[in-house]
Amino acid sequence: MGERRRIAAWATALVVAVVAALAVTATTRAPRVAASPRTFEGPGRELAENACLACHSAMLVTQQHKDSTGWEKSVRQMESWGAAVPDSAHHRELIRYLVARYGPVSAAAK
Amino acid sequence: MKSGRTSVNRLRGTDPASASRRAFLKGLAAGALGSVALPAWARAAVSGPGAPPDLIERNDWPEHWETSLEALGRSWITPNHLFFVRSHFGVPDIDPATYRLEITGLVERPLSISLADLRAHLLRYELPYVLECAGNGRGLYRLPNTSGTQWERGAVGNAWWGGVGLNALFGWARLKPGATHVWFEAADHSTLPGVPRYVRSLPIGIAANAMIADTMNGEPLPRLHGAPVRAIVPGWYGMASTKWLTRIRVEATPSDNHFMTRGYRYVYPGEDPAQAPPVQDIQVKSMITRPLAGSRVARGAVRVQGLAWFGKLFGVGRVEVSGDGGRTWQDARLHEDKRFNRYVWQGTWRPWSAEVRLGPGEAVLMARAWGDMMSYKTTQPLEARPNAAGYANNSIHRVVVRVGA
Repeated sequence: MGERRRIAAWATALVVAVVAALAVTATTRAPRVAASPRTFEGPGRELAENACLACHSAMLVTQQHKDSTGWEKSVRQMESWGAAVPDSAHHRELIRYLVARYGPVSAAAK
Repeated sequence: MKSGRTSVNRLRGTDPASASRRAFLKGLAAGALGSVALPAWARAAVSGPGAPPDLIERNDWPEHWETSLEALGRSWITPNHLFFVRSHFGVPDIDPATYRLEITGLVERPLSISLADLRAHLLRYELPYVLECAGNGRGLYRLPNTSGTQWERGAVGNAWWGGVGLNALFGWARLKPGATHVWFEAADHSTLPGVPRYVRSLPIGIAANAMIADTMNGEPLPRLHGAPVRAIVPGWYGMASTKWLTRIRVEATPSDNHFMTRGYRYVYPGEDPAQAPPVQDIQVKSMITRPLAGSRVARGAVRVQGLAWFGKLFGVGRVEVSGDGGRTWQDARLHEDKRFNRYVWQGTWRPWSAEVRLGPGEAVLMARAWGDMMSYKTTQPLEARPNAAGYANNSIHRVVVRVGA
């Protein structure tokens, strides 16, 4: 009898603990929908990872669509602030990667 | 004070430890508790991606989250956990017990204010203010190139903010002659030392109307929203309402920080960026929160509702609605609230509704807000003028619905 009551008490405590933990999860939940790719993809992605990810995630880049002038402006700005682009060859390669993967989209497609 | 990814991940519960905890909880819910009926909120906590999203993640770090239109339409006040988030850098760790807000520069009596000082201030008040990101709607501009987070409609929200007016703190610190600009400095910073800190300055007349806020919807300011103390600048786009505020500098000149001189400027195509006007007050805007785009509505009188706001003095004076793509317009009813006079309404958003008669087939709903008093001729454009950084998109909201027979 005592044994059964102890099991019941433990079961109740477990249910209460789980429900309380779920309540905490519910109030601190992060958003569910990701609107853009979370990672850089394809050949050349290491360049973008090295240059960008010290300060912000890949999503900030992958959601944008810019031509070479647009990406050139952004990358130059970031380099002036310390983004890790070792030399001008890497810089050109990075711009090529960004334009190829995240180039302009037609206005009609938006 | 330090900032970094660890604290952000911990805050969001995305560190490996909490991820495994969630997996464990989900396992429990699916297995051991499978036969136990969970309350609705607990089911929501363990449900998968099929659940309707309330927040749209535009960027995971730093956090750029926008609220879904459906969630914004549910209540006049946006709950804290659904309020849009836009940060320049990671969330800084600030100990509320040792926190001090400095007021320095052109003042007779420099101040170092604790959180307890703010909480005990006699002139505390609480008011509802709309906060809108300057880039809200950037992703909807018809531009092949837009730089920055591709927000749609939900980088806006309305909360009760509580704190002390900056004018009251200036009365305490006593301004010196020549005090014309107020610089807001913050605790957040980049992980790279070369990236400029986020500093914004305001003309003193605007700053005097700012609130130094430490509560949001009656709760202590959440960390993502600037805890322990942030500025709230009514009527200005969100960039002015600096989060994680640490120092208020009273100066004779505006700040020359990057985010003043280069960022937050309307650079129109073909114009000189050096002459670009600054982004300041919130343009007149309305959005339709119901019915939602693509929904099916019954034929006849359809209730159309939404929210309208405007950063200029006296706010929104009128909202018009069209059920035929803008050929004809009718006045919507602006909702009243006995607690508020026009001075309160000018800082917050105004719910509105209209009964619109729709025939069968496809209907194009539109809503446009107008200013009040001296701004009564100011309304929204069909298409806002595109600018390089996609700021202040207040194009008329257009919602296509299917009308049943």
